[in-house]
Amino acid sequence: MLNKEVDNINKELTEADLNLSVVMNSQQHQQQNNLKLKNPLITASGTCGNGKELADFFDINQLGAFTTKGITVKPQAGNKTPRIAETAAGIINSIGLENPGVDSFIKDILPETKNYSLPILANISGYSQEDFITLAEKLEERKELAGIEINLSCPNIKGGGMIFGTDPEKVYQITKKVREIYSGYIIVKLTPNITDITETALAAENAGADAVAMINTLSAMKIDIDQQKPLLANTFGGLSGPAVRPVAVKMVYQCYKKLNIPILGLGGVRSGSDVIEFMLAGATAVGIGTVNMIDPTAGPRIIGEIKEYMLQHQIKKLS
Amino acid sequence: MFKIIANREVGPGIFQLVLNYDQLPQNPEPGHFFNIKVSQDGSEDPLLRRPFSIFDFDAAENRIEFIYRVIGKGTKILSNLDNGTELDVLGPLGTPFSLNKSGGNIHLIGGGMGIAPLYYLAKKLKSSRLTLYLGAANKAELEFFEEKFKGLGLECHLAAMEEKLEIKGSALVLWLNYLEKNTPDYIYTCGPEKMLAAVEKEALKNNIGGELSIEKRMGCGIGVCLSCSCEARDQAQKNKRACVEGPVFGLGEVILGA
Repeated sequence: MLNKEVDNINKELTEADLNLSVVMNSQQHQQQNNLKLKNPLITASGTCGNGKELADFFDINQLGAFTTKGITVKPQAGNKTPRIAETAAGIINSIGLENPGVDSFIKDILPETKNYSLPILANISGYSQEDFITLAEKLEERKELAGIEINLSCPNIKGGGMIFGTDPEKVYQITKKVREIYSGYIIVKLTPNITDITETALAAENAGADAVAMINTLSAMKIDIDQQKPLLANTFGGLSGPAVRPVAVKMVYQCYKKLNIPILGLGGVRSGSDVIEFMLAGATAVGIGTVNMIDPTAGPRIIGEIKEYMLQHQIKKLS
Repeated sequence: MFKIIANREVGPGIFQLVLNYDQLPQNPEPGHFFNIKVSQDGSEDPLLRRPFSIFDFDAAENRIEFIYRVIGKGTKILSNLDNGTELDVLGPLGTPFSLNKSGGNIHLIGGGMGIAPLYYLAKKLKSSRLTLYLGAANKAELEFFEEKFKGLGLECHLAAMEEKLEIKGSALVLWLNYLEKNTPDYIYTCGPEKMLAAVEKEALKNNIGGELSIEKRMGCGIGVCLSCSCEARDQAQKNKRACVEGPVFGLGEVILGA
């Protein structure tokens, strides 16, 4: 008997023994409302199109979940170009939420996702509380969606997004309104451009959000010293990529200590060890963004690297 | 897997990069581009890939060629890579030139590094009435291209901004000198956006159809980030991504920055 137990302990784990699945619990206290993921990787909004672009490179059903490009009530053409600038270990973008609007999203984009078996999250942005209410109403009971991500943190649009995301009271109000309408999983995406992110995170939790996502991009700019003017047509943009990861890890860690709801951690993840770092900081799931733009097959590569880590450390279950 | 088999300077600050590949998802067509990761050994600087239109392609030899000018950090690193270096390359990407206009009188107008994608195009067009109008800063920048195009047996007119070749001036002015007496049925053009806008304007004014290849600051090169969006001239149409619907557009299809 004892020998058998010793044998079991000594038995090396193989890939087949590994369980990467994670569950993002819902505040609605019913099991069917939980978001179950086969692994913690979720693509970050705006870095993976609406699925088919990445699907040219690999089967995206291998991912934990997929987040769509941000959508607004009306179609938006986005900002003028240049919309992207490169910095040390990062990029600054100011796309300006180019998207076809929610009606076209429902009519043209959502039907294309029916071939995917992974949970799909729609990222929504607005200029007013009414915008978020409209979006929540239109997306309620869209069976293609597992949930929505409320973007209260876009730095690239005027008079919306980040303005709401820096005010805990506004975060509370908008989240609460959306919660009253939308019955699926709700994630609130938070901005790091704030003194204390735990205040907005707690506001989202108190208003009924199922989870929070952090961080959106850091407000930033780059100056073209040859032209002697800002490089981005929009002057300011949002910084992402490996440069922001330590900031994101710290914010996840801070929030984990105060929150009861799960955290989707993201910011500069480009490898399996980065995912592990976020999970150790307290993230239940981890987003991949900028890395998709450089390496379209980053998703499956990172899943492989997580498995390697688990084998190395003899960890059978990730969550 | 891609391996550098040549990376040599063929003009002042202008390099010819020749890669050997073991397989491609599909053979590239003229106007396609490849997105090359230039940072080496796990470095994240620069973070993004660098897009280059193809200069030449040889399926039998598993060989693909690019011409680039050393401008910034990425191309500087690229220019220092030795033969035998393995590169992480994505492609072919984008929408290529259409080749169905091979029949008539065709003009190719290229400015600066915009000349590069016209070479493989000229090779594949195989028209008997194909004329090139090429411009650059000076003669030294054009010598390599001139030799290559003449190797195809094509008529080649040259202009430089800094010295008098056929004329002293731009490829646009050079081309306009011929437009009346040798009006083309179709044109293909690539070069600085201002040049493209001017060529497009003259062509449309003269009812000449054609295509242009645009250079835009790209993020991903695969259509996910929307950094390289181009505004469609037809307002009923959505923005077009230079990396997916482009980099080749029909004349008049997108609004160019003049």
